[in-house]
Amino acid sequence: MCVRRLSGSLACLVVLSLTAAGCGLSGGGSDDGSATAGGCEVDKGNVGSGELTGEVKGSITFQTTNLKKDFSGYFDGVIEAFEKAHPDTNVKWVDDPGDATFTQRLVADAQGCTLPDVVNINVNTAIALTKSGYLLNLDEKAPDSGKPFTPAMWKSSTYAEADGTEVHSVLPWYSGGIVQTFNTELMKKAGLDPAKPPTTVLGLFEDAQKIAEASDGEYYAFLANPQHRIPADWQQMNIQILSADGKKFTFADDPKTVQWVEAMTKLYKAGGMPRDSLSSTQDPANVYGQGKLVYGPTNPNFLRFIQQNNPSVYKETGVARFMLDDLGHTVGAPQYIGVASTSKNATTALSFAQFLTNAENQLEWAKDPNVVIFPSTTESLNDPFFQSVEGSDPFAEARKIVASDRKTATADEIALTPGGLNAISAQIQLAMQGKKSAQDALDEAQKKANELIEQGS
Amino acid sequence: MTTLSSPTKESGVAVPRGPRPGEPNGRRRLLRAIKPGPTADAGGAALYRRWWLPWLWMAPAIIGVTVFGVYPFLNTLLLSFTDAKPLGGAASFVGLDNYTRLLGDSDFWLATRNSVLYALIVVPLMVLLPLVLAVLVEKNLPGIGFFRSAFYTPVLASSVVVGLSWQWLLSDQGLVNTWLQKAHIIREAIPFLSDSWLILFSAMGLTLWKGLGWYMIFYLAALGNVPKELHEAAAVDGAGAIRRFWHVTMPGVRTSMLLVGTLTGIGSLRVFTEIYMLGGATGGPGGADRTLPFYIRDVALDPLTGNAGYGSAVSVALFVLTLGLTLLAQRLTKEDEA
Repeated sequence: MCVRRLSGSLACLVVLSLTAAGCGLSGGGSDDGSATAGGCEVDKGNVGSGELTGEVKGSITFQTTNLKKDFSGYFDGVIEAFEKAHPDTNVKWVDDPGDATFTQRLVADAQGCTLPDVVNINVNTAIALTKSGYLLNLDEKAPDSGKPFTPAMWKSSTYAEADGTEVHSVLPWYSGGIVQTFNTELMKKAGLDPAKPPTTVLGLFEDAQKIAEASDGEYYAFLANPQHRIPADWQQMNIQILSADGKKFTFADDPKTVQWVEAMTKLYKAGGMPRDSLSSTQDPANVYGQGKLVYGPTNPNFLRFIQQNNPSVYKETGVARFMLDDLGHTVGAPQYIGVASTSKNATTALSFAQFLTNAENQLEWAKDPNVVIFPSTTESLNDPFFQSVEGSDPFAEARKIVASDRKTATADEIALTPGGLNAISAQIQLAMQGKKSAQDALDEAQKKANELIEQGS
Repeated sequence: MTTLSSPTKESGVAVPRGPRPGEPNGRRRLLRAIKPGPTADAGGAALYRRWWLPWLWMAPAIIGVTVFGVYPFLNTLLLSFTDAKPLGGAASFVGLDNYTRLLGDSDFWLATRNSVLYALIVVPLMVLLPLVLAVLVEKNLPGIGFFRSAFYTPVLASSVVVGLSWQWLLSDQGLVNTWLQKAHIIREAIPFLSDSWLILFSAMGLTLWKGLGWYMIFYLAALGNVPKELHEAAAVDGAGAIRRFWHVTMPGVRTSMLLVGTLTGIGSLRVFTEIYMLGGATGGPGGADRTLPFYIRDVALDPLTGNAGYGSAVSVALFVLTLGLTLLAQRLTKEDEA
């Protein structure tokens, strides 16, 4: 009896795991020449060469990620405006909670040939869906799609198809931007000048070392978990994280990465980071809000959080341009809008995707006082809303800095998968505890991360 | 002896037939068949004997178990012999490759060690401590309701909330370290959340704390069935509280102990949240605290780099391990009884 119950329980565990993974034995394309994409039968016009043609009419589904709760007014307005401009259309809006299993669920939808016509995705999901052919190839189907976007962002927003060809399969949408945030009072206590924030990553570690020496455990530079800093630090240092073809990790071969791990280790040992934050899930925003961290999260939206929850810490907060270091500009993939290649109304879906991401609609949303986002369109970033920011409070400063930064920012973010990030971070944690040398830890991290790439290829 | 209400002339055996004009339709007949009381006459009894009726009652459970238990289990077994990926694509049969890889995978063995250790430490404690608690709160003393509720409260809290509370308790500047330092018991904070062994033991503590109340309820129900006369007789014979607990209470709740042991054993081998909450996404520094379910997540579930085939092989290994430990526990219990 118990055995039977046991089998049922375990089978359920297995099911939940593997169903969540969306694993299956689905096959590739058919041999009879009919149009397929990602194993699904699709309209012939959606794949291959040649622009998308057809009338803008019919019903489409539009899926966002966790936006309905706060922005339903804005999206209802955009949908209404689109339907008014195209009277024979109907846009059905659905909102996914966007939790940790979002990509798995969306991939499962795609495998079931039920991907929403227009879908809001992040960089990891864009990679996954493009690789399997579930998104429209915009270079073929809508060659002018990139015109509204900043050239740097558009040029870098390409992802590889199954044969390795880099294509535009998504439209860049909004992003949060990146800035340095710091507690000016704590900086002064540590003998640092808030007017001269670091401009390089290793410069940041030098300052952090001074904080460790001065703080005596009362406050810290930042949290220890390497996951908070990888791969942003490495990218700014212009470390070659991946090989040119993206098929192998190469970070361990760069002496700058060793320097970075050694700097982390030295700072951890000196007490510049909370010892118990090495692998923990602590949120840096909360710890910064308690006045215990000198450097806060780099997402400008966090400033709003601090303003609302810890006004006294907010008053002491300074902002500065993120450390551009050797790279010379910031990187960060925005949220994307993709059009499903399996769509029955691809022309309408593409038209709506372009309408949603145009300069006017992006700017309107960015002006919403309840959100801190930055558009991907050149025209929006040139708007006085971003250009003539008045006031010197941290939030206004951050908006000015990020808006100027977004014009040169690229989407070349190395999108480490959760598994890859865990594999790399785990080894660096061992180095920080002194259980491995920096080089040994990096070699092992690279080996494990490469095994994951190989496993997934 | 009941007689069949409407036997067919040919065989004398009742067979299903459609409603005739003026007779109740099929749904009404079914309702009449299941309705107890005066209407469950001879005709009703005949309907109870319809061959399909038991299957009808069992259908929801059978469908549920098949769809959510049997089929996925078989699918997992099948996948474990392939190189299936979460993103789909053609999966190839790879024979025993995944199982061969398991044998040489040091991360798998580390996760297995952690899971087995978890079960070996948590199961005995989870079998005994709730029983002790149940014996303590069984008595009807003034204010005992408060303690019963207090012990049960952690069961109601979500694992994430409990995990966060334990993070605050065990951090370097948390309640436990602060108290120990103020009491001059320790000088340096104990690294509960940065030492891999302490993370594992803290996670076990969390599991125990959260499960005590739940299994206490099991035992409270079982204790009600232990005859009071036995306790009285033992007391008259001079047995103290501990001897009575050992020789009267424990044998009296033996079946419940076996049930708790089995359930806890299965639960211990499936631990994920506790490790994640205290050890983070890597499963402790260097991934040293990963359990088998944690490892399955790492190898199988990543949409881009996951290997559902290998993950399925690890799942099958977990299944075999759980089954083995449960059978072992049953065997030991039977030998003990003999």
